[in-house]
Amino acid sequence: MNQAEVIAQLQSIFDTIFLEPVVLTPTISAKDVPEWDSLTHISLMVSVEKSFGVRFRVGEVENAKNIGEFADLIIKRKQEP
Amino acid sequence: MSNPYQSPVGKLKTLLLSGDARFWTLLALATRSARDFEELFLLSSLRKKAHARKLNPPKSGKEKIRLAILGGYSLYPLHELVEHLCEVENFPVELWQGDYDNYISEIMDDASGLYEFAPQVVFMLPAERRCVYTGKLTDARVLQQTEAQGVVDGLLDLARRVNEKTRAEVILTNFMLPARHDLGTYRSRTLGSDWSFRKWVNLELGLAAPAYLHVCDWEFLASRVGGLAARDERAWFESKQPCSSALLVELAREAAQLIGSFKRAPKKVLVLDLDNTLWGGVVADDGLEGIELGDTSPRGEAFKAFQKYIVSLKQRGVLLAVCSKNDFAKAAEPFEKHPDMVLRMEDIVCFKANWEPKSENIRAMAPELNLGLDSFVFVDDNPAEIDIVRQFVPEVTTILLGPDPSDYVAQLADCRLFEPKSITGEDAERTGQYRSDAERKALEATVTDMDSYLESLQMEAVISEFTPVDVPRLSQLINKSNQFNLTTRRRSEAEVIAVMNDSNFVGYSVRLKDRFGDHGLIGIVIGEKAGDTMRVDTWLMSCRVLKRQVEEETLNELVRLAQARGVRRIEGAYLPTAKNEMVRDFYGRMGFTLTAESETKREFELRLESYQPVPTKIKIIRRAYEPS
Repeated sequence: MNQAEVIAQLQSIFDTIFLEPVVLTPTISAKDVPEWDSLTHISLMVSVEKSFGVRFRVGEVENAKNIGEFADLIIKRKQEP
Repeated sequence: MSNPYQSPVGKLKTLLLSGDARFWTLLALATRSARDFEELFLLSSLRKKAHARKLNPPKSGKEKIRLAILGGYSLYPLHELVEHLCEVENFPVELWQGDYDNYISEIMDDASGLYEFAPQVVFMLPAERRCVYTGKLTDARVLQQTEAQGVVDGLLDLARRVNEKTRAEVILTNFMLPARHDLGTYRSRTLGSDWSFRKWVNLELGLAAPAYLHVCDWEFLASRVGGLAARDERAWFESKQPCSSALLVELAREAAQLIGSFKRAPKKVLVLDLDNTLWGGVVADDGLEGIELGDTSPRGEAFKAFQKYIVSLKQRGVLLAVCSKNDFAKAAEPFEKHPDMVLRMEDIVCFKANWEPKSENIRAMAPELNLGLDSFVFVDDNPAEIDIVRQFVPEVTTILLGPDPSDYVAQLADCRLFEPKSITGEDAERTGQYRSDAERKALEATVTDMDSYLESLQMEAVISEFTPVDVPRLSQLINKSNQFNLTTRRRSEAEVIAVMNDSNFVGYSVRLKDRFGDHGLIGIVIGEKAGDTMRVDTWLMSCRVLKRQVEEETLNELVRLAQARGVRRIEGAYLPTAKNEMVRDFYGRMGFTLTAESETKREFELRLESYQPVPTKIKIIRRAYEPS
């Protein structure tokens, strides 16, 4: 999976969770989306882990600065055996 | 994304964006079936967005329950799930959240925000890291036990303190058990291991909990979810979450269930289908010998086990009824003759086997048993029968049994409709009471003169002020009695205790027995004295004892207690509900004068100077506030 494919899959998760449509780009981040508060964030992460079949390591999600870095993190975790 | 929640969420969004109030009905349905955290959470954020867009639930404006949540964890997003579950089930809450791990000082400090909020319900989640033995695994057992008891006492103290200051019901979580192999078999050879220590604390906490304290059994919920699936260490390190998101959903559901149960009565009647519900096969076709029931086949065993479970419900006070499309004689035959039937005719208070629609049969049961249709639960394996009851008597709760009889017990055991708040001795005897009602009616038919009928009953009444031991039964009756109830004011156990301890109130109960049996506690009055007036706050009675002169004796007692307190007039009010039409003119019949009348209230007064006690056929064994 490349970054664009991951972002496309993320887009469908965001479409389910957010009421107002959000168009994901590699540079977008939580502060650009009014509905993306810390509560929604918890829900998003649970959905992302289930959808991609990955498990992030403690503390690493908050190091991702934007959707591009987050997508790269998903790719990295997906490559693990 | 997984599919199951795509459809309701899409539909909900459409309804929300078009401002359609059907949003709330669908939201409640979707919430009931949601199992995953993210699914439930999504429904909750849709609910909040509906509020933001001023799409309000149909019954909004309802008074909210003031709920405080505090504990040794981050209570976020738990609070959100609890709020959501309570609101969609129609008992919205106003939330106050404690700070992370600040619950002890919030409770100990009289000036804390907790007390300023004045909660009606407090949900407390003590930190599991404080429920550990601090000494060595090899310490003497008495040392370990003393420390465990100290943890229990500490929690009971906190609960008592918060209840004394606020009169709130307290929901307290107990502790999850470890799920790792650590210590091996030594785990259970010492009380010093987390495993044994917490099991001991949980057990003692449950057994010692007073009436206002409701243990939210986290140990049980975790074992349902599974020990390993219950925990999430990463969520603890990242955001101080108490458990995995899967268990968080169960915890929120349990808390909402408890909060809802404080003012909601459990169901009273279980209406059973026969063929393929109580036994396998169709008795009218297969004959008495052909039905599957008993230890000769696995299916027969499953049906027998289901009957045994139903009998256990009866033993805790649930009334059993039968509703079957059958010839009466054929339907009754297994109850009378089949050697493996666990249920017998005398277990059934109402037996309807005929060819009328089941909806009509169940509707007819309500007046016969003097119970509202909303206290009935109907169980059938046939979806068409379930559907007809759902459509034509929507007040009745229905359970469609699945295809496998070995799952029947689990379906009833998980339905959450028959959970006793506290089992009172009287619950267990209820079937006996309802059956002797039938015998009593037969006697009524033979004695023509009412006076001699009442005399022949040899009634005896015990009137008692509220006592601590009666509190569960008092609160139960106050919360479930609908028909003979002048004001329908509900009170939790804690609120009944508050009345009991307030000298401005008189509160007494009436118990009645007669030659056919003991009716138990059947009447409750609460009066509040203000100067020379006594205001009747609550007057309710079980309809089983209607027109036996209990009404008159109850008033005689009220007047006696009022006069002893220097009262000159009694004020009573009738507050109409959908169910209490029968007592609309009650005060008038009892000699009160109507003083004011509106759509929502009828007010009456009784002047005491001219009151003469009404003679009755009831022998009064004891009166309230008097030494027995």
